[in-house]
Amino acid sequence: MVPVPQEPARGQAGRDMRQVYLFGIFVARRIVALVITVMIGVYLTIVVANMGGQVDELRLIQIRADVTEEVRADPGVSPAERQALIERRVALEVDRLNLDQPFIWRSFDYLRRAMLLDLGRAEQMHSDLGSRQVSRIIVERLPATLLLFGTANVLVFFTSILTALSLSRRYGSPVDRAVVALAPTSAAPGWFYGIFLILIFAFVIPIAPPGGMVAVPPPDDALSYALSVLRHMVLPVIAIFISSIFVSIYSWRTFFLIHSSEDYVEMARAKGLPERMIERRYILRPTLPPIITSFLLMLIGLWSGAIILEQVFNWPGLGTLLFQAIGHRDTPVIIGGVVIFAYLLALTVFLLDFLYALLDPRVRIDPEGSGR
Amino acid sequence: MAEPLLVVEDLSLHYRTEAGILRALDSVSFELGRGEAVVLLGESGCGKSSLAKALLRLLPRNVAHHSGRVLLDGTDIMALSDERFRRDIRWNRISIVMQAAMNALNPVVKVGEQVAEPLLVHAGWKRAAAAEKAAQALARVGVAADFMDRYPFELSGGMRQRVVLAMALITEPALVILDEPTSALDLLTQAGIMNVLKRIKWETGTSFILITHDVGTSSELVDHVALMYAGQIVETSPARDFFREPAHPYGRALMASVPRLHDRADPVHIEGNPPNLLDPPEGCRFAARCAQRFAPCDREPPFARLAGGRRALCWLFDEGGRE
Repeated sequence: MVPVPQEPARGQAGRDMRQVYLFGIFVARRIVALVITVMIGVYLTIVVANMGGQVDELRLIQIRADVTEEVRADPGVSPAERQALIERRVALEVDRLNLDQPFIWRSFDYLRRAMLLDLGRAEQMHSDLGSRQVSRIIVERLPATLLLFGTANVLVFFTSILTALSLSRRYGSPVDRAVVALAPTSAAPGWFYGIFLILIFAFVIPIAPPGGMVAVPPPDDALSYALSVLRHMVLPVIAIFISSIFVSIYSWRTFFLIHSSEDYVEMARAKGLPERMIERRYILRPTLPPIITSFLLMLIGLWSGAIILEQVFNWPGLGTLLFQAIGHRDTPVIIGGVVIFAYLLALTVFLLDFLYALLDPRVRIDPEGSGR
Repeated sequence: MAEPLLVVEDLSLHYRTEAGILRALDSVSFELGRGEAVVLLGESGCGKSSLAKALLRLLPRNVAHHSGRVLLDGTDIMALSDERFRRDIRWNRISIVMQAAMNALNPVVKVGEQVAEPLLVHAGWKRAAAAEKAAQALARVGVAADFMDRYPFELSGGMRQRVVLAMALITEPALVILDEPTSALDLLTQAGIMNVLKRIKWETGTSFILITHDVGTSSELVDHVALMYAGQIVETSPARDFFREPAHPYGRALMASVPRLHDRADPVHIEGNPPNLLDPPEGCRFAARCAQRFAPCDREPPFARLAGGRRALCWLFDEGGRE
């Protein structure tokens, strides 16, 4: 028998305790790092969305104009009194909004409130129900965006992964070459195809509604409401699907082609394993971490919606909201959108760290927190 | 001699490349008896690994031409359907230890499972029984049972090579192809693995095809030598005869280039490079580098029979060619 190097014996319990301890440190470090990341991102947004404080100048002028307008409407006041009243009310507003403090000081106050998810009130926009709360406005638009882009992207993702896997085995076949040839169709965005789809299927052959999310007036019972939404979703989902499916298949196919030339895949083939098993266990399984990463990033990417596509289909989603907010310089709404997006992103990255360790034994938790 | 285990007849394999047709194997023929080991000896790019892959039908997509017969126990395995070949031949009759054993194990599957896998797939074993057998197979190549639950990245190169070897032996195939099994390892580890191979050959009567360019490591294990040059087998000899004195001029040049322990003569370098397999020269492919070149070498040489069951692809041994 050939001598074998043995690992020095160590108590199992001691090892477990140490594992838990290292795990705790790992989690704590990740959380601190991610919170700092979110903080930096949100702070930059605050500075940019306020144009480094310049928006406050505009705000001041706006307040003075509004107050003057209101006070002028009140007759029977002498000009001197009126002026005093204006100054008093402007001072009150300035005090309420802390506009007398330097911007740098207030920016940190904004940051603190943003980090605590106190998103505040919109300056001009309001929700359909009339609320000025930024959180209300966002929550109202979120489901529409998630429904449309979630459906379309999940469809694109799974279709392309499965097609790509089978294409990578038939490299150079007619279907494969067709997909490669069609990949440039994704250079045009979804809304571009959307315009044609609306033209053809809403006007030339009117079988689908041209836009909106639900029929007007909305049906009363839940079932017909759902069916109506479904009907309205068909064209935009097809538009997104066409605009991204081919390039997605193309890139996953290339990804699988690279990974199916790994030595262990060739070895599995030599072992005489059935093709399905090779695909599942030797190609898909070792490449799950990057696949899952891209899936999760795709999911949070949905959150920002797509501005023009939503406009073309008159879809009441977040893309439209953020577009309008930027147009109105409605700083709280812009910052609110970014804060929520940053938190979602951080949460996803946090989740990915665990999934990686679970899926790939090579990713080990070490006290340096550096992964491998 | 009884019926040989493996007979390779006229095996040719050409690849399609950007630059033209690459003739990786040209009319390769050899035989291998039961329980015997043959070394395919030759420098890089001479077609050794192509031969190994052709025997297991692990061909790349760009094959332009593939012909010849491979008889295993009298059955032409080249004629089998892909599905039958996969189920009946791969790992049941022929297994392989691939060149890049460092990366031959799936990084996310435990070592024990990978070793046991062929039993589950081919022989329909139960999981527990297969795991037990895998532990035995690992023990036989010198890997302790507690390595079963580890992942490949937790093992050293030598350990991984042993695991791959255990995997190749677990279904008790008649023939194991070893493609450069030790070339990435240090000398001590090499010696350890060669010892394991010798013991297994002795104990189980498995036949081996060893592929290497390393004359030294092969000499301990093998019974026969098949010398390859530029896609052809140029000499087949019993190992003892070959290592004493090769017949083919290329063999002699090769042996002269190997440093020896008890010989004061300096190793001799072979001048020139092997021919381009995209456009091999007419006649003998070694002629351009051969010290004994003479007139007939411009024509295709015969595979001449020599005393002691040796054969060589050379005009020197042909009655008509000798002057």
